[in-house]
Amino acid sequence: AELYCSLPSPKNVHFESKNLKNILDWSPPEGLGEGVLYKVKYLIYGIGKWIKKSECKDISRTWCDLSNETYNHEDQYYASVKAFFSGNCSRWTETARFNPLTDTKIDPPAVTVSSTEKSISIVLTAPEKWKRTPEEESVSLYQVYSGLQYNVSVLNKKTKKRWVFSIKNNTLVVPRLESNTVYCVNVQTYVTTPLLLSGFSKECCIATLKD
Amino acid sequence: PLLTDEEALLPAPQNISILSTNMKHFLTWSPVTVPGETVRYSVEFQGEYERDYANEIWIPISECSLITVTQCNVTEDISATVPYNLRVRANLGSRSSKWSTLKVLFNRITTFLTPPVMEVSTDGYHLLVKLEDLGPTFQFHIFYWRKGQESWVHKKTVKEISSVVHLDTMEAGAEYCVKAQTYVEAINRSSNFSQAQCVRGPDG
Amino acid sequence: TGNKILRFGPCMISMNVNEIRASFTAIKATIQAKDAIRTISILSYPYSLHNFNVDRCCIIHHLLRFYVDKVFKHCETEDSHVNRKISSIANSFLSIKKKFRQCNEQNVCDCGEEAIEKYKQILTNYGQLNITSAAMKSLGELDILLDWMEKA
Repeated sequence: AELYCSLPSPKNVHFESKNLKNILDWSPPEGLGEGVLYKVKYLIYGIGKWIKKSECKDISRTWCDLSNETYNHEDQYYASVKAFFSGNCSRWTETARFNPLTDTKIDPPAVTVSSTEKSISIVLTAPEKWKRTPEEESVSLYQVYSGLQYNVSVLNKKTKKRWVFSIKNNTLVVPRLESNTVYCVNVQTYVTTPLLLSGFSKECCIATLKD
Repeated sequence: PLLTDEEALLPAPQNISILSTNMKHFLTWSPVTVPGETVRYSVEFQGEYERDYANEIWIPISECSLITVTQCNVTEDISATVPYNLRVRANLGSRSSKWSTLKVLFNRITTFLTPPVMEVSTDGYHLLVKLEDLGPTFQFHIFYWRKGQESWVHKKTVKEISSVVHLDTMEAGAEYCVKAQTYVEAINRSSNFSQAQCVRGPDG
Repeated sequence: TGNKILRFGPCMISMNVNEIRASFTAIKATIQAKDAIRTISILSYPYSLHNFNVDRCCIIHHLLRFYVDKVFKHCETEDSHVNRKISSIANSFLSIKKKFRQCNEQNVCDCGEEAIEKYKQILTNYGQLNITSAAMKSLGELDILLDWMEKA
């Protein structure tokens, strides 16, 4: 039976999701200071049976990794947190309905750049979906989002001009460049629908070879 | 028909019409003037769904409720490619005029599409183009060709405008011309072409 | 821009999914908060819509009609902003439904036994609740439908 609980509740209970790695996150209840413990439960929408997350029972941290439990990105989920402190407890506080497919954030791709005298070659590797075990076969976000593409930004350090390419495949060769010139590349992953936009990758600069 | 005292005092707005350019839609009307008074106006809309499936209800546009200007931006509500009806009435204190309704239903498919503002440039052998950002509804069809090879025109579709777009790599000493048109997939229509602009690549 | 040509069996329909998604995202929290029933899903259980890959044309034809005829009209709220977004979605669905009618008249939109069975299950799920709750739950599951529609 549910105890009578009068503690203030955990706040801002929500999923922080990146590349479908789904972490339940919250802020501590106000005014309690150190020593608050939490427990977590979750449910699959449509089945509706709350399931306790044993690894997040009586924890003091304010996050809980539910990636495994929410691995099927075609389902939707709720999660809930309860606080305990010196014999008292709070009510359960729930997330909004979580749809991994539309609510996740995505990373920029991994970028490798090489150069010749007159060209640079850019190879992109799409971010991967979170894996349950290192041995598990990788699932590229390319396979999850059919509309995934890249905005490739190239900066000519000599002329200070920046140009953008929009490409769907993961390689781009930019020919007829100036030799002995530094070009800087950064790339953004972009899903047209549902609309998801990553930040830009770290700038990667390379010089074309001398004549 | 005889007007009641109320209506005789507060005539309905006249000349209501829609101005629609580049998928931005504005309802406009002539002011109702009552000497020494500030007349306000309220606008409502009705899509084909409301007419055919929801008992012809009208939906108020809160941003255009009791406004004093004679124009209302209805873009956010005209968000499907179906015929919409719009109406406006005057308000003065507790009194309201009759509704004035569009004479002809409005479908966003009739919006006027202007040729895009375009700036062609080069960076060494690279042909670049900068286009004005008209919002997520718009794409751009860019056509470019080498001068003297007018029969061999290349086409590139650009969906997201964030900055200067790379078109192609140029041959040494060649001159290239570029023109563009906007394309709105939601209504499957294009604008006229912008004026062609030509630039020359390095001599090599 | 989110406009896509979506394939449903013989029918290829151009639609701006992002316009619908934007309207839904604007009201998702409000609409889903009105649906406290977690044990029932209209589109996900016992058969997940995501597993309907046969007779997609039949399913989408029925679901468009389901939403236009049964759902949107029972979703009026006290919030004018929400009502305006529901109107946007409803009129977009009507526009798609009309395009579908054109395609349907030209092609045979096959309805196999499996598809009919699954659509019946959707109506059964819908029937478990009173009309307003069922309509509000169906509207709250619009992202499930859009996600499925966009699967190649």
